[in-house]
Amino acid sequence: MDYLSISSLQVDYNHQKKTNPALRNVNLSLPRGSIGAIIGPSGCGKSTLLSVLAGLNQDYKGQVLLNGKLPKETGEAALILQEYGLLPWKTVWDNVKLGLQIKGLSKTETADKVEQILNKLGLFSLRKRFPTQLSGGQRQRVAIARSLILQPELLLMDEPFSSLDALTREEMQDFLLQLWKETNLTILFITHNIEEAVFLGQKIFVMSECPGTIIREYVNPLAGEYSARGQLEFLEISNSLRSCLRGREKTCV
Amino acid sequence: MRVNGLTKKAIHLLSAVVFLLLSWQVLSFILDTPVFPPPFAAFTSLFHSMNSDLMIHLKVSFYRIAVSLIIATIVGVPMGLWIGKNKRVDAISAPLIYLTYPVPKIVFLPVFLILMGIGNVSKIVMITLIVFYQILVTTRDAAKNLQKEYILSVRSLRANERDLYFHVYFPACLPAILTSLRLGLGTAMAVLFLVETYATREGIGFYIMDSWSSLAYEQMFAGIIAMGLMGFLIYLLLDACEKILCSWVNP
Ligand SMILES: Nc1ncnc2c1ncn2[C@@H]1O[C@H](COP(=O)(O)OP(=O)(O)OP(=O)(O)O)[C@@H](O)[C@H]1O
Ligand SMILES: [Mg+2]
Repeated sequence: MDYLSISSLQVDYNHQKKTNPALRNVNLSLPRGSIGAIIGPSGCGKSTLLSVLAGLNQDYKGQVLLNGKLPKETGEAALILQEYGLLPWKTVWDNVKLGLQIKGLSKTETADKVEQILNKLGLFSLRKRFPTQLSGGQRQRVAIARSLILQPELLLMDEPFSSLDALTREEMQDFLLQLWKETNLTILFITHNIEEAVFLGQKIFVMSECPGTIIREYVNPLAGEYSARGQLEFLEISNSLRSCLRGREKTCV
Repeated sequence: MRVNGLTKKAIHLLSAVVFLLLSWQVLSFILDTPVFPPPFAAFTSLFHSMNSDLMIHLKVSFYRIAVSLIIATIVGVPMGLWIGKNKRVDAISAPLIYLTYPVPKIVFLPVFLILMGIGNVSKIVMITLIVFYQILVTTRDAAKNLQKEYILSVRSLRANERDLYFHVYFPACLPAILTSLRLGLGTAMAVLFLVETYATREGIGFYIMDSWSSLAYEQMFAGIIAMGLMGFLIYLLLDACEKILCSWVNP
């Protein structure tokens, strides 16, 4: 069985006594150490799916297993939110430290680990700054550091690079790829960007809206190849994805 | 010549002091009555009374204000955070707070004096109650309006409820809490003066009214200045707290 497996997942939100279906019959699986990309229209339940995987939303039907266990039972998944969720009242150092602090690790051990990860991600010189004093790319790296310090097996990222400029965005994609190659991380990320999905996602899941479900799954051999960005096949997959998304959005309106 | 930020601030403060003293001088010259002595006479009187009983009265008043502010904070802040964090508690408590908040608590002073005696207790309880409400409401609203994203992101680091209070709710609400304390200080000083003018022979409020009734106007002004300085001192203290604890607001 795959590392991550979801079958017949259903999530409803109850809002003012009305049931709001967010996810219906979602089936998804991802092998250990691979990168999955989720793409779909706004409001189709992508963030909801990640919050279920992170163990934050336990109000669901169906089966969700991480390494054979329930999300809330494993401490294996780390979630990076859409706007990174860094705490503005904590410095870079304190933000990165937070996970270990909550875990109750000793002070010296915590300090060692924080220093190590900050150095690894090139953030050490920024450690005394507050998040508002950082650029978008730096903030994203702090958020990654804050998650990685807990040594997760699964990294969940909600539109990780959407608010970055084009160049920083490509830098961060390369950075993430590099990181992934060095570790044995399984990564599942959400994106609105077709090229990003094709560049990073070994598996690409296309979702429909109202209510969200996975309508198509691509296996993408080009993922992770730096040279792939210009290749013909890259464009073909991108175009196929684009028309899939377009076609769906029309039927939904 | 370049002046750095601190010198600039000092110059501004100094000019404000000079301006106030000048206005005072002019006003006292125009009014020309013993009830409104010029600043020099008032400060001379303050200097002389320092060694006498003024200090004792000041100490009593400071004790009352400080204890009230501390109790109001210790009770009001956690309660505000708790209500703001829990929707159900908020739903239950909201009508109660809504109904009692606008009632001027000071009208219960006679009742308090009878129930708790004319000592420190009734005065401290009165001031505490009034400041407590301001802190409670401000803290609750700040906690309620906290961005969900912060809570989610810290929850995703496997934080429990205690961690959330400690790392998210409290630090996020601290600027609002300090603002409410600063506003509360103004109210507390006013209430202090009022409660000290009834049924007591101690405190700066009593000192001022006593001087007034014995026509010692310069001494009365010494009391007024002393009370003002005390308020200013606590204000500075809160300011320092904000600078140290909330440096993230304007880094
Ligand atoms: N707390 C909530 N209460 C009620 N409805 C909610 C709640 N959170 C999300 N929803 C609804 O569930 C649906 C899915 O939301 P979700 O945030 O998962 O979408 P998304 O795919 O991440 O959208 P986007 O791409 O804009 O981030 C939306 O229709 C949204 O309105
Ligand atoms: Mg979303």
